[in-house]
Amino acid sequence: MSELETRPAGTGAPDKLEIRNVTKYYHGRGNSLPVLENFSLAVKDLEFLVLLGPSGCGKSTLLRIIDGIETCDSGQVVLDGKNVTNTTGDGRGMVFQSFELFPWRKVIDNVAFGLEVTGVGKAERLDIAREYVNLVGLSAFEHSYPHELSGGMQQRVGIARALAIKPQVLLMDEPYGALDVQTRDLLQDELLSIWERQRKTVIFVTHSIEEALYLADRIVVMSPRPGRIEQIIDVPFGRPRRDALKSDPEFLALRREIWQILKKGARV
Amino acid sequence: MEKLRSIMLACVGFALFLGLWEIGGRILGSALLAPPSAVAVDYVDLLRQGDMLRELAGSLRQMAVGFLAACIVGMPLGVAMGRSDVADAIFRPWVSMFVVTSTAALIPLFILTIGTGFMLRVTIVFLASVWYIVLTAYNGARGVSPMQVAVARSFGAGTLQIFWKVTLPAIYPFLITGARIGLVHAIRAMVLAEMFVIIGYGGLIHRSGLLVDTGPVLGLLITLMIVSLFFNWLLGEAGRRLAPWYEQQRVTL
Repeated sequence: MSELETRPAGTGAPDKLEIRNVTKYYHGRGNSLPVLENFSLAVKDLEFLVLLGPSGCGKSTLLRIIDGIETCDSGQVVLDGKNVTNTTGDGRGMVFQSFELFPWRKVIDNVAFGLEVTGVGKAERLDIAREYVNLVGLSAFEHSYPHELSGGMQQRVGIARALAIKPQVLLMDEPYGALDVQTRDLLQDELLSIWERQRKTVIFVTHSIEEALYLADRIVVMSPRPGRIEQIIDVPFGRPRRDALKSDPEFLALRREIWQILKKGARV
Repeated sequence: MEKLRSIMLACVGFALFLGLWEIGGRILGSALLAPPSAVAVDYVDLLRQGDMLRELAGSLRQMAVGFLAACIVGMPLGVAMGRSDVADAIFRPWVSMFVVTSTAALIPLFILTIGTGFMLRVTIVFLASVWYIVLTAYNGARGVSPMQVAVARSFGAGTLQIFWKVTLPAIYPFLITGARIGLVHAIRAMVLAEMFVIIGYGGLIHRSGLLVDTGPVLGLLITLMIVSLFFNWLLGEAGRRLAPWYEQQRVTL
């Protein structure tokens, strides 16, 4: 545990996003299951934060509550000092695990969707969308339909769609979970290179320890039922990070340590 | 290659059928079953006389009125039932009852109340097709992906925007399919209603059926088949043009 530095949330850089005492129950027949109970977390400005944990630990639910597409039973989500609990839009852009592009929209129109619903004029939103399609390297596919693209390309569109609204916080819900390992590695590098060019607060959900270590500034290790923070880990690696890092001895040691933490929290 | 093969096989089957029909027709005689060679001669006559195409055009015009009315009523009703539990609870029993009711059984009833004119055909066509349009739209509306609705909400879309930008485009292929099924039923109902009151194209079929020659009847049926297939293809093609993602998406699944 020696290399791991844990510290209470809220020190250092100013907080961008605060999750205050969020509680969420899933109501079944006759009983209620706590998914999150009095969950609090502070996310710093421009940090890359990863929520890591086994399935059922409430990490995706937490992300959906931050985004506002799922409502919480009590507690608050505060973005830049503004209470955004149980509302959508407004500074948050989300990337979904199964891409969820609109099949009837061409790539460019998918990317422009968020701008369209917030009332940005057609010429302007298409210009912005084109810029982000270019950023994810899909300029040649602007006028393709999603079904004509590979999974990796579809998720690039998903990322461009979330970035195009210039969100304060980028939320990513296991965005590479549905992709094969090679594509996943490529997209991790691509994400880091985009992020290094356009710094942004990112909250990224995954169950892959390697992915968490490779991407994150801080890792919030969570354990299930109800979801709670097992430990917060500051990732010591500098940036830019390259693929070789994944076989670095320190990387592997940290990976083992996090595995131990996850095992301890796991109740099978 | 696969496609060419299936076209070849279809042609072989077609030729075989025509051959058997020709033999059967020669044995039975034109009064019972006119052979294709005789039907072809009669068909040229039917085209030259002009009755067939004139009556067909007139009947199709009236059918179109009933069918369009069925689309205008059926599509919104189906979507409403699919998206609202209240609308579903109110209308579904009626849709379920009418969709299983034979249109032919309703015709005598309507002859008594609205007579044998324009309104009868429009009403019968409407009643024969509207339920299929409703049910297809209903299933489409039910199947709209909750995740895609969530995505739209995530980007800040309001209820109306979600309806126009997500629900409707997602339902669109079902509306086209519903219209295709509805149209087939509409054309059938058109002929049926006309045979009851002996007017229009159905009336022509009825009168031809009284002759001691089956050639003209078979000719009229062939025209009807061609017309139905054509309109079905036309609607399908319109759907493909307007929603290129739909067909291809289905093929790749």
